Amino acid sequence: MKDNNSQKHKAIKILSESKDNKLVTHLNSCVHCGLCAESCIYYLTTKDEKFIPARKVNLISSLYQRYCTFTGKHFPFLTGARNLNEEIIDEMVDQLFGACTLCGRCNMHCSVGVDISYVVRAGRKMLSEMGFVPATLQSTVNAAIQTGNNMSIPVEEFTDTLSWLEEDLRDEVNDPHASIPLNVQNTNILYTLNPREPKFFPLSISAMAKIFYAAKEIWTLSTSMYDVTNYAYYTSNNNEAEVIAERLYNEMLKLKAKRCVLAECGHGSRAFRWEAPNYLRKSFPFEVITSVELLAEYISKGRIKLDKNLNKETITLHDPCNLVREGGIIEQQRYILRNAANNFIEMTPYGIDNFCCGGGGGQLSMSEYNERRMKIAEIKTEQIRKTGAAIVATPCHNCVDQLIQIDNKFKLGVKIKTLAEIVADAIVLE
Amino acid sequence: MTYYQLISLIAFLICFLSLSYHFFRLVRLGLPKDYSRKTGNLKSAVTYSFTGAMNPLKKESAYLHLPTYTAGILYHTGTFISIVLFFLFFFDIKLSYALRLILICVMIVSGISGIGIFIKRTMTKKLRLLSNPDDYISNLIVTVFQIFTLIVLFQESFIPYYFICAALLFLYLPLGKLKHSLYFFAARYHLGFYYGWRRVWPVKSNKQIK
Repeated sequence: MKDNNSQKHKAIKILSESKDNKLVTHLNSCVHCGLCAESCIYYLTTKDEKFIPARKVNLISSLYQRYCTFTGKHFPFLTGARNLNEEIIDEMVDQLFGACTLCGRCNMHCSVGVDISYVVRAGRKMLSEMGFVPATLQSTVNAAIQTGNNMSIPVEEFTDTLSWLEEDLRDEVNDPHASIPLNVQNTNILYTLNPREPKFFPLSISAMAKIFYAAKEIWTLSTSMYDVTNYAYYTSNNNEAEVIAERLYNEMLKLKAKRCVLAECGHGSRAFRWEAPNYLRKSFPFEVITSVELLAEYISKGRIKLDKNLNKETITLHDPCNLVREGGIIEQQRYILRNAANNFIEMTPYGIDNFCCGGGGGQLSMSEYNERRMKIAEIKTEQIRKTGAAIVATPCHNCVDQLIQIDNKFKLGVKIKTLAEIVADAIVLE
Repeated sequence: MTYYQLISLIAFLICFLSLSYHFFRLVRLGLPKDYSRKTGNLKSAVTYSFTGAMNPLKKESAYLHLPTYTAGILYHTGTFISIVLFFLFFFDIKLSYALRLILICVMIVSGISGIGIFIKRTMTKKLRLLSNPDDYISNLIVTVFQIFTLIVLFQESFIPYYFICAALLFLYLPLGKLKHSLYFFAARYHLGFYYGWRRVWPVKSNKQIK
């Protein structure tokens, strides 16, 4: 452990000087009934008791008890109050970073109503204060802060990619004037991207560009700030999260776009739409929506025409936790798929009861937990297998990555697609 | 007022003041503040948090563990009735024979539930690893209080011991997890606020998802 009492003191202050009604409430609410166990994919796949969500809460509440309550200060044995030491820090890193995808499934099923993932994030914040964020996850945050996007893509490389995507778009829609606009002011939409798109999945950018073209949308991308992700949300370092969020906020103001449309990225959507205003402590003077809502809007308003016969294969949907359970986008993706595909079937369970794919909470960045991440994916694998679908659609690039790995490891033989790709495949250009 | 009533009254006041401290601390910390743009309905979501979201058919913690969940509900019902009866006994309010019989039945079931929950915590590895002394003491002290309530419903001469037991419960309540008698409501409120702000709650039925 880093020998730094001031860091420990700062971590304890997160609990002892908390002015957060919600945190104080949830730290005092768990009754250790253990009924949350079966809601957690880590416990379900390993049956290891240390992964029970209540045990994760207990790591933080035991510190709260020790340093912030009469009983814990004077009779620590009674409530299991613990000192902040090397042993508990190791447990916290392993269980709060390495064994929680922040999927929030346990919150909904907690018999009391403890927001378990909120408490886990408070624990991650304490670890962040003490410098115990796994280096692999922190490096993703550092890349975003230092280069403007979490994959450190140079601007030239980004614009080159967009340039050939624009050529492809012109060929596909047979219009030499079709374009992917860059840094245009006063548009209706500033569209963001997950940096995985220009780096690994450029076809999802093409798909969205084709949709914008079909909808005759006035939109733009920014070359200086397009990254929808904010991995500092996962490290719970609010100062770093604020830096990243402020860049996109400022870009919106600079380009004077009316709406910020967040690419298909679960945590990115959550981080900018729901968390960023709180990081920055101000309400945004522009609208922030997800591309899922935008696609549903285009279809319902007749701005794009779809022929669902163009998507003949059976499609199932994986609900990204941050978008659905933590973001309230529940119906739109179903509406889109029913209009864009011939045969859409649900997994069981689905919607707000869905199981995480295993890639959330920063797990995809933390390679030290890869084995565990693929173990917890067994549940999603079985869900997909039972549907018999040929395509798994998901509006989240993190989930896309994890689902591709699931497909490879468990030989599912499915294709993984974003919603934009499925909609673009069904578009009828007039 | 007898000495044992006085002891239980003092214990109750200490308990009440301690819980009031917790309550007013939460009030002082204020309601949640969220700068993001609300898309849902807070009132209906908070209501849902206390009603529909507690529906055992919608909670895995309930429908996957029906015996434990049922025992928990009965146990908490018994606890609530015991607290009400404490005041009736304290003010020497007489109960009808029929009501006594009903309460005796309820308290027997509730007491058995409490003992069952205690045994489960003791015997299940998953729960033992999760438990600390407070979990056992809280369970025991409430169960004993319920059993003493039951005995008093049979045998009024037991009342001095009953009030001493009540005093112990009241003194212990603010120290450990029994505080959830207050924090439970705050937790449900916060959960309702959180999901309501984002239009996750109230949940639409699957048939409503088009």
